[in-house]
Amino acid sequence: MVAKKITIEPVTRIEGHAKVTIRLNDAGKVEHAYLHINEFRGFEKFCEGRMVFEMPLITPRICGICPVSHHLASAKAGDAVLGAPPPRPASLLRELMHMGQIVQSHGMHFFELAGPDLLLGFDCDPATRNIVGLLQANPELTLKAVNLRKWGQEIIATLGGRRIHPVFAVPGGVNKSLKKEERETILAGYDDTIATIKVGLDIIKGWAEANMEDINKFAVFPTGYFGLVDPENALELYEGQIRLIGRDGNQLEKFEPSHYLDYIAEHVENWSYLKFPYYKKLGFPGGVYRVGPLGRLNNSEKITTPMANEEFKKFKALNHGKPVENTLYYHYARLIECLYAAEHVKDLLDDPDIFSTEILNTCHNPQPQGVGVVEAPRGTLIHHYWADEHGKIEKVNLIVSTGHNNWAMCEAVDSVAKTYITGPDIREGLLNRVEAAVRAYDPCLSCSTHAVGQMPIVIEVRDPEDHLVQTLSRG
Amino acid sequence: MVTVTIDGKKIEVSEGTTVLRAAQSAGINIPTLCDHPYLTPYGGCRLCLVEVEGARTLQPSCTLPVSNNMVVKTDTQKVLDARKFVLTLIFSERNHFCPYCQVSGGDCELQNSAYHEGMTHWPLQPNWQPYPMDASHPYIILENNRCILCRRCVRACGELVGNYTLGFEERGANSLLVADTGVVLGESSCISCGTCVQVCPTGALIDRWSAYRGHDEQAIDTQTICVGCSIGCGINVFTRDNNLLRIDGNWDAPVNEGVICEIGRFKPMNEKCDRLVTPMIRKNGSLKATTWEEALKVTSSELKSHKGKKGDGIAAMISTRQSIETISHFKGLFSEGLGSELVTTTEEGAFTESAAKVAGSLGKAFEGKLIDMLDADSFMVLGTDLVKDHQVAGFFIKRVIGNGPRLLVLDAEENPLSLLANKALKNKKNTFEDAINALSAAVVKLGLTKEKTSIKATDLDGFATKTGLKSEDYLDAAYVIATQKPMIVYEKGVSAAALKDFAQLIGAKLISVKGKANSLAASQFGLEKPVKLGAHKALVVVLGDDEISQKMIKDFEKVPFKVVIASSSSALTAMADVVLPAANWLEQEGHYLSLDGRLQKANRCLTPATEVRSTDAILLALAETTGIKLNNDWTTELHHRVAATEIVN
Amino acid sequence: MGKPKVSSDWMAGCAGCHMSLLDMDERIAKIIELVDLRSTPITDLKVPDATGVDVGILEGGVNNTANEEVALRMRSRCKILVALGDCAVFGGVPAMRNFFTIEESLRRAYIETESTDDSGKIPNDPELCVPTKVRALQEVVPVDVFVPGCPPDADTIFYVLSELAQGRIPDMKGDKLDWH
Repeated sequence: MVAKKITIEPVTRIEGHAKVTIRLNDAGKVEHAYLHINEFRGFEKFCEGRMVFEMPLITPRICGICPVSHHLASAKAGDAVLGAPPPRPASLLRELMHMGQIVQSHGMHFFELAGPDLLLGFDCDPATRNIVGLLQANPELTLKAVNLRKWGQEIIATLGGRRIHPVFAVPGGVNKSLKKEERETILAGYDDTIATIKVGLDIIKGWAEANMEDINKFAVFPTGYFGLVDPENALELYEGQIRLIGRDGNQLEKFEPSHYLDYIAEHVENWSYLKFPYYKKLGFPGGVYRVGPLGRLNNSEKITTPMANEEFKKFKALNHGKPVENTLYYHYARLIECLYAAEHVKDLLDDPDIFSTEILNTCHNPQPQGVGVVEAPRGTLIHHYWADEHGKIEKVNLIVSTGHNNWAMCEAVDSVAKTYITGPDIREGLLNRVEAAVRAYDPCLSCSTHAVGQMPIVIEVRDPEDHLVQTLSRG
Repeated sequence: MVTVTIDGKKIEVSEGTTVLRAAQSAGINIPTLCDHPYLTPYGGCRLCLVEVEGARTLQPSCTLPVSNNMVVKTDTQKVLDARKFVLTLIFSERNHFCPYCQVSGGDCELQNSAYHEGMTHWPLQPNWQPYPMDASHPYIILENNRCILCRRCVRACGELVGNYTLGFEERGANSLLVADTGVVLGESSCISCGTCVQVCPTGALIDRWSAYRGHDEQAIDTQTICVGCSIGCGINVFTRDNNLLRIDGNWDAPVNEGVICEIGRFKPMNEKCDRLVTPMIRKNGSLKATTWEEALKVTSSELKSHKGKKGDGIAAMISTRQSIETISHFKGLFSEGLGSELVTTTEEGAFTESAAKVAGSLGKAFEGKLIDMLDADSFMVLGTDLVKDHQVAGFFIKRVIGNGPRLLVLDAEENPLSLLANKALKNKKNTFEDAINALSAAVVKLGLTKEKTSIKATDLDGFATKTGLKSEDYLDAAYVIATQKPMIVYEKGVSAAALKDFAQLIGAKLISVKGKANSLAASQFGLEKPVKLGAHKALVVVLGDDEISQKMIKDFEKVPFKVVIASSSSALTAMADVVLPAANWLEQEGHYLSLDGRLQKANRCLTPATEVRSTDAILLALAETTGIKLNNDWTTELHHRVAATEIVN
Repeated sequence: MGKPKVSSDWMAGCAGCHMSLLDMDERIAKIIELVDLRSTPITDLKVPDATGVDVGILEGGVNNTANEEVALRMRSRCKILVALGDCAVFGGVPAMRNFFTIEESLRRAYIETESTDDSGKIPNDPELCVPTKVRALQEVVPVDVFVPGCPPDADTIFYVLSELAQGRIPDMKGDKLDWH
């Protein structure tokens, strides 16, 4: 008897709920694996009729892990609609908040999510491969990880009054300036932050060396790469132009973010509530690209801060200057970005304009539409608003970071399933690796610390007549 | 006096006092929403329900007058349950999205009431029937989903401002706050005073400019005086990190008791554009940035070279929005120090001349006070548009004329107040004296006065014809204004002497609105000359944050050396030889003399950019560079001539 | 007796409340000492024990059929049910969808948006859940403790969990309730 469809439900740490279904052919080989994103809220509809200046407070409720990304992208779209570019000090402060967010999000994902996998091992007993296990095995490191996240979160709270859903950026600028004591407090935690990130880098590099086989066969496939860069193609997370390179590393496009509709479109599949962005000129799925840390580092030619740039050079050497395609290297790229963000916080705090109170441009020149783009931790975030002459929203279009990676996550699941399911005998190792494939992309909602106890997964094995043959469950 | 016992406390209050006010006077806190100390009680929200011994049901304390020996309890379980129920019903009626509302998190009276009662959720969920959000107005957003139907805004728009724009249509769940007959706010009779926004307890009425800029507890509140006109309303200026958040009317200010107009509340929010940030000197045909040292040196050396010259010397003028200290130093520098013949203001005494002459000839003040408007039983408004300028004086009239006092409008221009008048007269241009005399003749003809006058009843037809109006019109008008306590409000162009006689005839109080914030002070300093430029070699315009006419700017072109002290760039600064960047009104302090002689101090609320200085500091620096000593004794100078109105500290 | 079993899950929320829980920083170690953390989005167990847990915590409102299942399952398996955050307590920001029809919202997202190509259609694979009217948790199951806030402060969440861990119902008032 040969199984036809395998269902893995739920996949953990994804926007809402997701499930994986794997179709097998008669010979028991994987035909195709699907990642179904199972949630829909409708922000693009129910924001119609709200005011442009309310959007920086409504849209962060899309995500409680990266609300700052939405807050800033929304304010930038608001800047464009009001025709009021923010004064330089306001942009510096917004970027400071953004760097705080990058540090907390990337740091937390690496240590509390991937940490147990990397420190305790993929195949370690599930009962201990979790935060409690990590706490017991290495309490010092866990505390460092908590403090790393705290440092980033406190930057956000200092500027915006709260760690989550801060009130800071408004169209035209921000509502608060930085005080000297606040700068001192942030700087006081800088050295520990850098040290913790470097510990993380040692961990991932050590793990990669010891697990080269996995690195090279686990969800390795070509795609384009997409993200913001500065005029010299250095990594940019706050402001810049969008650059797209092809699978071979050659630049395909470089454009103003507000022109994104000329270059990318979204494809819809019947079996997922998450759409699939792709590069129009190459169609779907030929024009798919990856965003987020791996995508951005492939897409950049340098990093403007010294320590991160040193690591960056090593990253580039992994595939001799060509794009790095290995999904598991997302973890390495993530930490390099984390290092850059922390270093950049210091640069911003040393800028002569950082204490200025010139934080709002009140001269408006209203436009009918506006686009705001930032690089959220998970990828390029695009907010596009159309407003009437009174500043009321008529239409909203959002392309949210993880979305760009949708095809790649599906491909990763499919690839891992095909690599590891070679016959009807399905072992526990499959489950972990399928999860790990998705988790590496840090899809939004991976706030979690990781498995405590066992992950409850039900695997149903059915024959061609759809009779239940075997049930593998755990937890 | 009556005695009431509230929560065991015996309180004595005058008859007619409500239970709520009695409780408040004794420090007992009864929560309210629709109540407001400056509005008549409405009793709509029911949050103030209390137990009254002997009463069948709970009673709203805000509308219930105290009766002798009444016993009231405000903290029983029945009352606490009722409050929670009232709030439950209020939340269930509309769509309250507190997470992203601008006032949520401290500035919402509804949210604070719920927290006060310890509510953790809504026992009744709303049914999500959507209500419209009106964003048509340039300043005010009306979000009906947050409205709790307390009608504070309706009462304020009527009782405090007299505009009666806001009202409710429909009933029950379909009740809706609307403007006029159901039009959007941006197309209504709204005059953008913003009083409704100031009294709204929730985020239903908010202003776009200050949204999300900070809560009250994050801001600094500076009490100061508005310098938008000569009334001198008290205001609260909220700032955060040296940025203006919003301006509220000061409820405790005796002048205006909380109301202000668009010019004081909303116009300043947009004053940041085109600010001058550095001194500039014209070099090789174009203005170049320079240091204060150089700019002052060039200015003073040029001015010194024309010192004392007659006919071809220095012309100097100052804006009447500047403080008394600044005006005093200005006069000291240019009139006494540099011996200029032409030292005046940008309004050339137009608003104050007439009244000042009358005061001079009488040897004493003859005008009334703003407070007299509060118990006048009729008003005559002459030659001034109180809908456009000095709006708060217009509010004082508009809000009472529905209840007895009558209004007569006499103007040579279209006057919007005519729409509300019992009688409106539009006279031919430059015939005010004849019109006033016609009125006097009418009063005499009708026997409405016991005073003596040289004007005879038979003079009526002659005067009336001169003004282009009929005698009957003046007879009608006389009936309107010849009451027990008439009040006459007038402006420039009206002969104050003729008016004074008429006022005496009918026993009326007079007030001239006197133009801008310190027009009266400038008049006291004798700065009323018309700007007649002859062969003047140098011109200094201390403009500050004011504006002047295109015509004046054109006249200035012929003067070879021009110095402009201003806050923003304009056509005037573009033609200057020296431009000195000045602070605006929020960034400097000083004294102001209001239209009825009240001397008040305006306080500084913001710090200007580094190279921008207060106008006073600029004049003092200029004096120093020019070697002229100035004194600070403006109080004496202020009283050196008789003012039309009594000056009070 | 053993430590009280605590289980949590999320529905139509943004995860901000669980993030705020993590914002108690190192105090999480104290909580782990006091309770036996069972299924939560941060512990990989997805369903509360069939044998029951002491405290169930739900973040997010109910906006589709999958959420309804989660809410009913949690209510049936826990003694004390906590609604965590404004979405669970009131409906929250996602409840703005109730001003429109579900059809309108789906059409905008999957067909009308300017970046969607010709393949646009409303997904309806049987593997996917079906959107419904957005409801607060108490409109679907009875709730025992309400913790409002968007998100509730980490201090508030720490207080709530500590109290529940020690067998007490948290007293929500004062600065535990006043959200800024």
